[in-house]
Amino acid sequence: MSSNALGLFGDPVSALAAAGTLKDAGFARPELMSPIPIHGVEEVLGPKKSVIRRFTLFGAIFGGLGGFALAAGTAVLYVHPTGGRPIITFPPFLIITYEMTILFGILATVLGFLISARFPAIRERVYAPETAVDKFAVTVTCDNEDTFSRAAAILRAAGAEEVRNIREGE
Amino acid sequence: MNFIDRFVAGWAKYRKPGYYEDFDYAWTMTIDLDRSSGCGACVTACQAENNIPIVGEEELRKGREMQWIRIERYWEGEYPNAKLKFIPMLCQHCDAAPCETVCPVSATYHNQDGLNTQIYNRCIGTRSCAVYCPYEVRYFNYYDHHWDAPLEQQLNPDVTVREKGVMEKCTFCVQRIRQAKDHAKDDGRRRLRDGDVQPACVQSCPTEALNFGDRKDSSSKVYRSMHDPRAYHVLEELNTLPSVVYLKKVETHAD
Amino acid sequence: MPTEEKPLQFADVNNDIVRSLVVTGRNYYITLGIAMFVALACFFFPWFYQLYYGIGAAGMNHPTVWGTYLASFIFWIGLSHSGTLLSCVLHITNSEWRKAMYRSAEAMTLFSLLVAATMVMVHVGRPWFIHWAAPYPNQMGLWPNFKSPLLFDVMAITTYLTGSLIFIYMGSIPDFAAVRDRTSGWRRHLYVLLSLGWRGTDTEWHRLGWAYTFLAVLIIPLAVSVHSIVSWDFAMSIVPGLHQTIFAPYFVVGAIYSGTAGIVTVMFVLRKYMNFEHLITQLHFDNLGKLLLFLSLLWTYINMLELFTGWYSGTSAEYEQIKYKLTGFYAPLYWEMILFCAVAPLLMFSTKFRTSFVPMLVLSIAINIGMYTERFLIIATTLSRQYLPDAWGVYVPSLVEISILVGSLAVFVTLFLIFVKIFPSVSIYEVKETMPQPRKREASLES
Repeated sequence: MSSNALGLFGDPVSALAAAGTLKDAGFARPELMSPIPIHGVEEVLGPKKSVIRRFTLFGAIFGGLGGFALAAGTAVLYVHPTGGRPIITFPPFLIITYEMTILFGILATVLGFLISARFPAIRERVYAPETAVDKFAVTVTCDNEDTFSRAAAILRAAGAEEVRNIREGE
Repeated sequence: MNFIDRFVAGWAKYRKPGYYEDFDYAWTMTIDLDRSSGCGACVTACQAENNIPIVGEEELRKGREMQWIRIERYWEGEYPNAKLKFIPMLCQHCDAAPCETVCPVSATYHNQDGLNTQIYNRCIGTRSCAVYCPYEVRYFNYYDHHWDAPLEQQLNPDVTVREKGVMEKCTFCVQRIRQAKDHAKDDGRRRLRDGDVQPACVQSCPTEALNFGDRKDSSSKVYRSMHDPRAYHVLEELNTLPSVVYLKKVETHAD
Repeated sequence: MPTEEKPLQFADVNNDIVRSLVVTGRNYYITLGIAMFVALACFFFPWFYQLYYGIGAAGMNHPTVWGTYLASFIFWIGLSHSGTLLSCVLHITNSEWRKAMYRSAEAMTLFSLLVAATMVMVHVGRPWFIHWAAPYPNQMGLWPNFKSPLLFDVMAITTYLTGSLIFIYMGSIPDFAAVRDRTSGWRRHLYVLLSLGWRGTDTEWHRLGWAYTFLAVLIIPLAVSVHSIVSWDFAMSIVPGLHQTIFAPYFVVGAIYSGTAGIVTVMFVLRKYMNFEHLITQLHFDNLGKLLLFLSLLWTYINMLELFTGWYSGTSAEYEQIKYKLTGFYAPLYWEMILFCAVAPLLMFSTKFRTSFVPMLVLSIAINIGMYTERFLIIATTLSRQYLPDAWGVYVPSLVEISILVGSLAVFVTLFLIFVKIFPSVSIYEVKETMPQPRKREASLES
């Protein structure tokens, strides 16, 4: 049963500073919760890699190839000569390919988002409802009472309005 | 693998322009405008042969006539020097038909006889083929039609009666072509000869202005008519490659 | 409600939005009831009548086999364009003023697409077989004809519908989380599901930001292609008046034009009836007005091009089309379209006009009426006069068609009314981003 120290701040700058201090003090990756995206997180907490890009790319490639295969393959499965045109033609099939590329690019992006942000959340996670309104929170995992009081001290020193102890996972 | 072979074969066979020249037959109709008197026997015969509905006076007034072959009339000049010109217009069975490519469900396509066919069962009634046809020879069933007794006894059992929501047009009496091919097979002959099959309009024309046959058969009447110096296609500049050849009326200047 | 002395606070935004969702006055139910009744009486009832008796219940006839159903279809797809397209373009360019209104604009897109899809089903002769246009393996071994422009339509609109739905949903996840905390009962269950457990951590924001940007980048070419493809239903024919290369840009410009006018209308209604006066301001109307003016000039230019090329061709079917448009049976409609879409929008050169709410509302409705007329004219005038003069004919819409048009508007309004009570109709976090950020204070507590 791990506990989490959660500090509520009234503005993003102090929250970010507190997170930086916690990271420098040796705590495992602190998390910031906010109602709006905070600028400057990557400078303090380290760069973030986004794997969504790869999902989009592969999705789009799959969609493109699949779209053309769908159009050209089905044209051959049941041959229907129309309008004196060849049954496998590029002008119309490129349009199908284009649409399928975008469709699968979009779907793959969503999948990538869900996977990389770990959605949907099955179990309860550390949360403070105030962060959806106008407060900024910093949380960090603590193993025992000692680390918790150290974390709480750092948070209060940085200007936290409130420090909570939240037990995760039920 | 089987699918790959089919894929390559299909792509190769239908790749070059003019692949329709390799089809079994190339049914062609020639219409000699010099001989055509505008009597309308072809229209009546078509209506009888193909179960074309009688739309009624009110529908006609709304502009929903149903005639797979129509006699177009154009007036020139004023009374007393008014001249009437007419031209029978029917589905041209274009080799490069604009209507075929647009059907989303493939209800119309070019079959191995060179005919532009309409598959009533598959049609979902988007009516885009009628928009794309520059000759405007496609007709839509706006209602379910019924025939007052005893007219329903006159219906041709070889031809379906179309339900509402389905597009229809001249088929060059494909039921007669099919029947002629069956007879030819029974007789041991593999190929149809000139004169074996005549659509209803051709059969009923009193002046023999309409001729029908296979233009791949160089001994047929249509082949000779096609190469007449008077021969032309309607809206030739659109490059639809129609299978109906018109023979221009020779104007007399006797007045 | 914030007073004039205190500026808008973060908490006020949440309060406003939650209030707009949960607090429902009598007026809302009355409006919803009227909309549903009109939808039933004017859309579904005539449609079922038509399904039973046949497309003959509409006014279409032999040369003009297309009519108001397809014009409505294109109109609704056009209306759908500004929502998502505008939203994506303005997101990519980091513009501030879009933030208050883009959620409703995207909803407009979604519902317009749904209504447009219904119009296809109304238009088609045998809609019980419309699933044949979808590529699925079946016992007939038949597949749809992928060379058909109408099938490009099916693919494009499916993609656009999916993309718009995903786009509006993704952008709303943080807002669902915000309202989840303040609601109870069935609403809470719904928002718990829809918010996927969003907590607002920096990782989640980062991922959302990337995903959202990618979606926006993908949707912009998609939206341009969708209306181009719809235009190719017409332009890939070989008949005069329709076979023009200008159609793809013409339709896209027309779609963004009528869609932006639609946004102006929706913004006015939202502002007035949902009490969003402080969220949707004169600045928004000013900017939308500038965009509308630009689009109207572009639209006018394209129309002049069409006239010019028809005239330049000399005596031909195209020239006949131009003459018929300007002086034929439908000429009053043509001149009405020019008045509403080319002349009236010139009023927006004046800043005073652009920042006045009611005049902009009237103008936006007039523009949409004019744009509907444009779509109607494209179909009616071109099909009435084609190559063979014997087949010329005139088309007048029947009562069933007009009723279905009115009913489709009621269906759209119904869907939108349901939307404002379920989705947060203004994006909470984006509005907060445009507000001044909370600052560190010496006194620690802030209420």
